[in-house]
Amino acid sequence: MSITRINIGPIHPSTHGVCRLVVDVDGDTIVKVEPHIGFLHRGVEKLVENRMYMQCPPYMEKLDYVAPMSMDDLYVGAVEAALGVEVKERAKYVRVILLELQRLASHLFLIGSVGNDLGLMFTMFMWAFKDRDLILKLLEEATGQRMFYVNMRLGGLVNTLPKDFEEHTIDTLEGLEKRLKKYQAFLEKNPIFIERMKGVGVLKKEDAIDLGVTGPVLRASGVRYDVRKNNPYYVYRELNFSEKVLYDGDNLARFRVRILEMYESMRLIRAAFEKMPEGDEKGMPIRLITPKAKNRIVVVNREVPRGEGLIYMVADPEKAYRLSIRAPSFINLAALEHITKGARIADLFAIFGSLDLVMADVDR
Amino acid sequence: MLIGSLEGIMGNGLSSHNPLVMLLFVVIYAVGVLIIMSAFAYVFGWIERKIIAKIQLRHGPNQVGKYGILQNLADIVKLISKEKAVPSNADRSLFILAPQLMLSLMVFLILLVPIFPSLQVANFGLSMLAIFVLLGFSPLILFVIAFSSGNKFADLSAQRSVLMLMSYEIPMIITVASVFLVSNSYNIQSIVAMQSKTWFAIMLPIGFIVFFIAMLAELERPPFDLMEADSELIAGWLTDVSAPYYAIALFIDYTRMFLGGLLISILFLGGWNGPILPPTVWLIVKAFVIAIFIIIIRASTVRMRIDRVLRLGWVWLIPLALINLVMAYVLFG
Repeated sequence: MSITRINIGPIHPSTHGVCRLVVDVDGDTIVKVEPHIGFLHRGVEKLVENRMYMQCPPYMEKLDYVAPMSMDDLYVGAVEAALGVEVKERAKYVRVILLELQRLASHLFLIGSVGNDLGLMFTMFMWAFKDRDLILKLLEEATGQRMFYVNMRLGGLVNTLPKDFEEHTIDTLEGLEKRLKKYQAFLEKNPIFIERMKGVGVLKKEDAIDLGVTGPVLRASGVRYDVRKNNPYYVYRELNFSEKVLYDGDNLARFRVRILEMYESMRLIRAAFEKMPEGDEKGMPIRLITPKAKNRIVVVNREVPRGEGLIYMVADPEKAYRLSIRAPSFINLAALEHITKGARIADLFAIFGSLDLVMADVDR
Repeated sequence: MLIGSLEGIMGNGLSSHNPLVMLLFVVIYAVGVLIIMSAFAYVFGWIERKIIAKIQLRHGPNQVGKYGILQNLADIVKLISKEKAVPSNADRSLFILAPQLMLSLMVFLILLVPIFPSLQVANFGLSMLAIFVLLGFSPLILFVIAFSSGNKFADLSAQRSVLMLMSYEIPMIITVASVFLVSNSYNIQSIVAMQSKTWFAIMLPIGFIVFFIAMLAELERPPFDLMEADSELIAGWLTDVSAPYYAIALFIDYTRMFLGGLLISILFLGGWNGPILPPTVWLIVKAFVIAIFIIIIRASTVRMRIDRVLRLGWVWLIPLALINLVMAYVLFG
């Protein structure tokens, strides 16, 4: 049969953003997928060079609109390292709580879109979004914003946690944990779902390491690597974080790893609330920043929901001289061509979705 | 068919000596049935949107008319008033003709399936067989639409439609044959009359299940909606279909589901047989129950892949359909 070249995107119901895929198909089988990116390129890394350090977090948050706080934290972490600012003890716990809530919200997005990619029109999506909304409400309570929080300050956060935040969070998590079990059963008890996910888009351990993918995609291929474990920051070591690893490397493993991570996140949040010391978590107000950068070159990495986020920064006293972001989505996208080879066209978006890409993060 | 319908009506005591008057009567009656069936299909479309919305924790249409009942009408009016766009590399005449062909096919089907059992538009010896002949045409017309639009997504969808046809049409016809075998007739009236004591669903449980699954595929309902798989093929054969043609497609989509419900209830669930309530009400209630079940399936399952559909068809449905046929012959033949 002759090879048909179809052009999917940049505007397409299920590309998770503006990504253009040029797909060569032989009948129903994919021969080659070529992602074309750059539709959302805004030159954030360059913009940073023209702004003071703490003017930049809003730009960073727009890199990953599914989990904005994680990118914000990555950047602020890099600035803290450059300026040599110590994060307050309580602020570490609060940051862990907020970041893990953000991770829950981000993974819920994936669980919803998995259904959509496989043709379950919006049922799972709406359910997952209902829960995501509850978490966003919690984050709104804590930061004042629903989506772009800009709540990280040097050494801490912009404001203290509200009084009954702990109670609300524990309540929400309890409900979420129950529903998450139901969602997983709803999807996985369906033989068609298992049929569509198992053994599809297999990424072998060696290939995963060679391609440099990180995050849940890497851990689903059986590699024990999680920045929270291998290079612990904040209080992940004190909270006995354990990374979740599965070995099949297929769509189903990628889906299940994220669900396991969600349970782990919930455990972390509960543990953090228990161990959280009294005190103050407020960081420096932006206006009063005077410290000059001490370290010239900073490399900071964080486990954002999509994988390992890393910032390489050459610091000038008041602003970044150069900033380079290792975007997890960008690197994970590189695996797409490899794992879709020989798959069915119907599975293309299931595989694409399982990589959990955010195009803004890819294009920067 | 027309003669059959004349006989059918005359058989019900409405006879006239003037053939022209009779013809006029039949036409008026047919138009009436068409309108009533369309109304049911319309209500059905609304119910589908509402039920799916409820399952998905949404409100569904609730602005146009009471409880959003006029939303679909508004959609259709909007679509009809839009520009008729035909893609530049489409086969123009086929692209315009095929949806209308499909509509006329649907009209024939509607006239063949009775909702008022005592007043059937076309009642003749082979009425049930005729329905399946016409039903077998509809995937071919989809195929024509898909190929004539000259779109690559539609092409892929057309390829799938042929593969689908191979996997579900055969078991469906075999199961229908078992019903013909038991009822000893191709006529809708006598098939229903045979079920006045026991439904065929109870006599031929395997056949009922096979037929239901095959019907889901025939109606292109999830998990068999591969032809308009929106996550990969945008809208499959409908990708380039727009404005009034899309309105036709929407209408056909809802009508077909209502028809599917009617067919399943006539063939396996005793048709209009039932106590107390008038026969028409029974038939429609059964059709709606089936259709609501189909909607719930739509809201809760992911789509199958084409190779798996083929596998399901040839490894499960066809052998089961044959077993059912043999059982029907041995037990009731």
